[in-house]
Amino acid sequence: MLGTIIIYGFINSSILVLVAMGFNLTFGISGVANFAYGAIYIFSGFLTWIFLNSLGINYLLSIFLTFVCTFLLGYLIYRFILLRVRGLSLSEVMATFGLGLAIMELFRYFDFVGVKYSLPVFIDGSVPIFGNYVDYQRLIIGIIAVAFAVAFYFFIHYSKVGLAFRAIAQDDVTALTLGIDPDRIGAISLALGSSLAAMAAIVILPLGTISVENGYEVLIDALAVCIVGGLGSSVGVIVAGLVIGYVQTLTANFFEPRWMILVSLAAMALVLVIKPSGLFGKQKELEERV
Amino acid sequence: MLTIRNLMVFYENALAINDLSLKVKEGEIVGVIGSNSAGKSTLLNTIAGLTLDLKIKERRKGGERITIMGRIDYMGENITDLLAVHRVRKGIILCRERHPIFPESDVMENLRIAAYLRSKSHLKRMVAYIFELFPALKDYRKKRAGFLSGGEQQMLAIGMALVAGPKLLLLDEPLLGLSPAMQTRLVSAIKDIRKSQGVTIIISEQFARPVLPIIDRGYIIENGMLVLSGTGRELMENPEVKSAYFGV
Ligand SMILES: Nc1ncnc2c1ncn2[C@@H]1O[C@H](COP(=O)(O)OP(=O)(O)OP(=O)(O)O)[C@@H](O)[C@H]1O
Ligand SMILES: [Mg+2]
Repeated sequence: MLGTIIIYGFINSSILVLVAMGFNLTFGISGVANFAYGAIYIFSGFLTWIFLNSLGINYLLSIFLTFVCTFLLGYLIYRFILLRVRGLSLSEVMATFGLGLAIMELFRYFDFVGVKYSLPVFIDGSVPIFGNYVDYQRLIIGIIAVAFAVAFYFFIHYSKVGLAFRAIAQDDVTALTLGIDPDRIGAISLALGSSLAAMAAIVILPLGTISVENGYEVLIDALAVCIVGGLGSSVGVIVAGLVIGYVQTLTANFFEPRWMILVSLAAMALVLVIKPSGLFGKQKELEERV
Repeated sequence: MLTIRNLMVFYENALAINDLSLKVKEGEIVGVIGSNSAGKSTLLNTIAGLTLDLKIKERRKGGERITIMGRIDYMGENITDLLAVHRVRKGIILCRERHPIFPESDVMENLRIAAYLRSKSHLKRMVAYIFELFPALKDYRKKRAGFLSGGEQQMLAIGMALVAGPKLLLLDEPLLGLSPAMQTRLVSAIKDIRKSQGVTIIISEQFARPVLPIIDRGYIIENGMLVLSGTGRELMENPEVKSAYFGV
């Protein structure tokens, strides 16, 4: 019992962290809340499916192509939509949310529904851990989440683009005086955030079928984790992912699985009432405004 | 190296720089002296391209508030309409007033960020030079920049500007809020930067006295207008200047 909760709680947390990282990255660096995030998530799922099944490209190459496409999509969204409303937060939200709705509802319109829309697992089979048989795909999710968190830390602190991200997030005018172009970095942050949505989609979606509803759920989960952790804080995302992930698993175990989404919503509401800037947030203005 | 002709900068309808012309020769240290809101920062920001950048950002949001007129030439090229990032690439580096640093990053990370456009070997060379210039920083390599004292932050900010690879270094009130002892140390560091790095420097100050020993020439501006220019000695001998900018 305890073993089950530890292992499944960890996998559930990993899913939440993977789902939230991309949203958080974009927001932390350029201040853009990308409400098209859930749409990009299912877009990546369907795109991989199309490459794989309609075009007959092999799985690995399909995944690679999906990364390239989502990166470009994020870049183009910034260059052609966001750049024109930069700094007007409400317009940014409307633009990304509207675009997200359009993408998701287009998939529904063109009848992308049904069990045939699912991605194959990476490796078939399962391994016993603490007396539970855990399938490889879930194990891979946990491993990728941890590996990603470590890689992300080094990327942010040591690569040129990562350092530019840190600079822009702290003070964009000073960054500009050092030759760091905020528009270029903003576009890259949206492109990378979108690729992270793709990464999450590609490792998580093989657990079930791809549906338009996934897009809405992912957006809610990403928002919940980021708000609880404190928008823009990577440590916050990890801590909030673990907290919400384990509480969800406990809820599913002792009450009912369908209440899991309630945990995200309740956590989000609670944090917004008690400490709107989140556990590790620095959005002080938010606190003062409320 | 730098020639400014008939520069005018308006914020809305307020004139911040009024028909200003000046010249800076390669290897010089030039002082821009003026009291509060004389237009020093506006002048340096306009040379660095920040004013143009602000104008573009505001236009995106739908407001035309800033007007820039006149012409700026740098190393034989008209840069009046060149974007700030490209000016940085060409070696025009501005160190803004009030020690601009990244408070959440430690000292080394600040310097690494500043090397965005430059190579690893350049960074290494400059870091060695900066620690020689400001030994105090060396002990704080791993300290968060936001926890440094004002003077230390100013040293770091100048260090970052050096890492960015300046040919023309613009220092906006680097001595602001520092103790006289600290001011003396910083002023001699600035002199060293010119000598050992061959950098041309424009330095702005409210008072002329602390920078007088190192400037080749100075410009005095009031209300965005050039009222006097000359060598340090010439400025000091002018009775009006003496009372207004030497604190006597
Ligand atoms: N972004 C801006 N928007 C509107 N007005 C501005 C802006 N920046 C500066 N000004 C105005 O332009 C004038 C010159 O300001 P500036 O900052 O250049 O002065 P300064 O000489 O640097 O003063 P200080 O010594 O106080 O730093 C001031 O009247 C100021 O109010
Ligand atoms: Mg100023």
